[in-house]
Order: sequence, then C-alpha cells, then structure tokens
Amino acid sequence: MARYGMALDYKNCINCKACEVACKEENGVALGADKHRIWVGVKEIEGEWPNLNIASSMFEPSQCQHCENAPCQEVCPTQATHYAKGGIVMVDADKCILCSYCMEACPYDARYVNDETLTVDKCTFCSDTRLARGETTTACQATCPTKVRTFGDLDDPNSEISQLLAHRDHFTLKTHLGTKPKLFYLV
Amino acid sequence: MFAVIEKGMKQVEKFIPMRHTDIRELMNFKKTPLNLLVAFTTLVFLVLFVVGVVNYLKHGHHAYGVTREHPWGLMIAMYIFFVVSSTGLCIMSAIGHVFEVEVLEPFAKRAIHGAVVTLLTGFIVIFLEIGHPFRMMIYNTISPGMTSAIWGMGVLYSLYMIFIVVEFFFLLRHDHKWAKRFGIFGLVVGVAAHSNLGAVFGFLVGRPMANGIYYPLYFILSAMVTGCYLIFLMYGFKYKLNFPDEMKKTLEATAKILGLLLAILLFFEIWRMLTLIYGGVPERAETALHALKSAPFLVGEIFLGILLPFFIILFSNAKAIKTIVFASFTGMIGIFFMRYDLVHETQVFPMQTLKLREYQLPPSFVEYFPSTTEIFIALGAIGIAITLYYIGDKILYLETDPD
Repeated sequence: MARYGMALDYKNCINCKACEVACKEENGVALGADKHRIWVGVKEIEGEWPNLNIASSMFEPSQCQHCENAPCQEVCPTQATHYAKGGIVMVDADKCILCSYCMEACPYDARYVNDETLTVDKCTFCSDTRLARGETTTACQATCPTKVRTFGDLDDPNSEISQLLAHRDHFTLKTHLGTKPKLFYLV
Repeated sequence: MFAVIEKGMKQVEKFIPMRHTDIRELMNFKKTPLNLLVAFTTLVFLVLFVVGVVNYLKHGHHAYGVTREHPWGLMIAMYIFFVVSSTGLCIMSAIGHVFEVEVLEPFAKRAIHGAVVTLLTGFIVIFLEIGHPFRMMIYNTISPGMTSAIWGMGVLYSLYMIFIVVEFFFLLRHDHKWAKRFGIFGLVVGVAAHSNLGAVFGFLVGRPMANGIYYPLYFILSAMVTGCYLIFLMYGFKYKLNFPDEMKKTLEATAKILGLLLAILLFFEIWRMLTLIYGGVPERAETALHALKSAPFLVGEIFLGILLPFFIILFSNAKAIKTIVFASFTGMIGIFFMRYDLVHETQVFPMQTLKLREYQLPPSFVEYFPSTTEIFIALGAIGIAITLYYIGDKILYLETDPD
C-alpha cells in the first residue's frame, strides 16, 4: 500500500511561482489571490541595518500537508474529508455541506472555498488529474525549474523521496500539534 | 389561509389548553409606548431579515463578510447566542419544575417556551450559515463523521429539541409526572449538546486560544447566566415592572443565583486570561492580549455582561429587581459580545504567517467585520424570536398551574 508524501528542497526555491500557476492550470483552480491550493511564503530578512541576517530570508513553498492525523478529517461531520488511496486527504464534493469546520481546524490554512462546486477544496497531490492519467509527478513538481519538489511513495524504500529523507535532515511544520504531516522540508 | 390556520388551531386545542384567539385578536395588544416601540422594532427587524435572506440567496456566502482566514462570522455567533439562551432557559426551568425548588417554579413553563423559541431561531440562523443545509441532514445521517463535534452537536440538539417540545407539551397539559421525566432528559441532553458546542471550539488543536477544556464548561455557565437575564426580561416586560409579591420572591431568588453565577463567570474569565497570557507562550499569549485590549471584550463582555449586573445585585442585596431588569438588557448585549468574541478570537491569529505576494505585509491579526447582510439576518433573527415568543404568550397559558 502506497503512502504518498512530498519532500521540499525549499532552499532551492526562487519564488518564480510557476508551481502556483501549474497547479491552477492543471486542477482548474479559480483565479484570485484567495483561491490557491499551493503557495510560496516569503520569510523576510531579520535584523536591522547594518546587522542584517541575509540567511534568514528565504522562500517556503507549501500546501496541504496531507497529515496522517489530519484535524480537517477528524472534524468533518459528514466524512466528506477522508483518507483516499495512498493516504491522500481528499474531499468528496457530494458530501461536503460547506460548514467550513475543516477550514477552521486546518492549522496550515490549506483549504479554500471552490466557488464552482460550492464546497471546501484543497490540494489533491493531482491524484484526480495527473496521477489518474498515469503520471508519477504532480503539476507543481513537474514545472519546478530548480527541482524543489519530490513527490513519491514513502513506503517504498527505493523511491526518490524515501532516499532523500533517508540521507538528508528534514523537518515538518507545526509538528508539535501531532498532525504527522507528510510534507518534509529538507535542510 | 387564515381560516385553515384557525381550523388547525382548533385541532391543537383538543390536546393543549389554549386561549381561543383568532388572527385579529393575535394582532391586538395594548397600545402603550413600550409595546408600540417593541412592535415597531420587531417589524423593522423582520423586514431586514427578509432583505438579508434574499441577498444571501442571491449571492451565497459572498454576501457575508467571511474570508478564507476567517471562515466563521456573525452567523455562527448568533447561532451560539440563541442556542445558549435555549440551554440556559432549559436549565433554569429544570431547577424549578424538575428539582422542585419551589420558589423558582413559577417561571418553569415560560422559560421552556423561551427555550423552544430560541432554539428554533438558532436553527433558522444556522440554516442560513451552512452552505448545503439539506445535504447536511442527509449525510449527517447516512455518512456520520462521529469524531466531529459538529456532528455530535447536530444529533444532540435534534434530540434536545424533541425532549423540550414534549416537556413543554406536558407542562401545558399540567401533566407534571411526564413533564418532569422529559424535563430530566431535556436537561441532560441539553447540557450534553451545549457543552458539545463548546467542544466545537475546544477541539481545535491548531487554535491555542480556543483549544482545551474551557469552552465546554464556560458554555454551560454562561448559558445559565443568559437564562437568568432572559427570565428577568420576560417578566419585566410582562408585568411592566409592577411585580406581584410572589413574583418578587421568585425574581429575588433568581437574582441571588444570577449574582453567584456572575461571580463564578468573572472568576473563570480572570483565570482564563491569566493562564493564556502567563509565560508569553507564542500565539496564545499574543492572541489573548489582543482580545484583552479590545473594546468588545472590556466594555461588552466584562462591563455590560458581567460587572454592571453583578454590582447591582451585590449592592442591592439582590432586592433591586426592577434595576436588574434593565441590567439584564445590557447583560444580553454583553452576552452577544461573549459569543461574537469567542468566534472572532478563535480565528484572529493567522494560520498563514508568511507573506505570499509582493507589495503585501506579512499577515498580522485577521480582520473581520460583519457585512450588512449578516447584520440584517442577525437582527432579523431577534425579530423572529420576539414574534414567536409573542405568539406563544398570546395563545398559551404560560403561568404556573393553579394547583
């Protein structure tokens, strides 16, 4: 049984936002600043002139963490949010009642309202688009010019992501909440 | 249509003792300035409700001021406001007619009437907040998310509604034995439902301001305070402050309970704030300080909602029941801010703290102000509650039984 995750070599990110564009194009995400499944956060330079910490300035691409213990899944009253094949956290649009409790519960701000389906939507790791067509990469990974993203099966010891995580130090976001995110930031 | 309603009422009269009232009598009331003011305000609120609902039906959630970062707004606050009132009235009623505290028995029926009315109004409000309410009824049943506090709340509040309606039915028929039995069920399920509503916020692991045991407990305590305020308002209006002796005793006893509850609530608030701020834990302390410095918290929650009524009760030794009626009005304004603040404060700290776009500052505390549509529906819901209460008061016998 596959268990999908993503490793982010985030220090390579150049904030070109090609991933955001590719995601919108591939998954039909509406235009507009609030309608995004993935994003690139900017950490600004810390300190005051002349003691500026240039190393503190970096880009942090992010998205739904596809948590193994997802708060959004736990709070959904109709099981619209569920764990699909490969541990991907998905939303069944037919069951979503738009109570917005998942938006409230997600500690990563990874959910938004899809104005076409009038349900809460999120990153699917392109499982209903690219993966369904037999591709092995997500749109954001395929388009990234600096190879920040590596998507793959965490349970396959020979997969590229497993090898990366085995050989490089990494961290996850808001680990203390016990959500067990499957987005790993490579140090 | 009126003839059909009147025919239906005659059928109901066979089961429930009612005043025989036709539509013209129903619309007829004593034309005092206060009555006219309440009638006019209610009418305006009902018109605003219609305008708000039409706008919501046309534009959906875009008509509300909610955003990705602040998905819950005034509608959720108003829903909590009404269901808190319902639970509070149910608990206060149960003290009298279930636990047989004689001095509090006179308001049992009227309080349960208020509980039914506020619960129905709360349901109307949440119906206008949930994006797909009919889908909710279907999938809450056939695909239950049992780990969800919202699912638990939905089930428990539905049961609660059944129990208090049946309890009210038996109270109106003077059947104390069955009223008491259903009263116990209503009380237990009502407390479970309401603390569950607190858990909707308390279970949010990513929101340190709300996460924890505080809200489930605080909801029950503040519900009882709300129940007391509403009892004062209902009887203050009914007797136009000229209370008969028996009612004076009842209201003085209620004032003593209210004083105690307010003292406990103040104690809760003080320790909550100190615990949240102490140690300067990131996110939690900042959010608490942000809330602590806000006018809705200081003026609304603390001054109007707690301190003003508390000191009136304290310095009058719970005897100034006329003044407490006015303090109950400001108290209810404070209670509204308690609901509004808890919804807003839970979401005020941004989950996304990084800057996402050029020419943008890093996200700070999330801003929210209700849209006109939300305000219209919220005021309209108050109008609906007053109308339903008025109709019940006109056609039902809400006073203590002759026996």
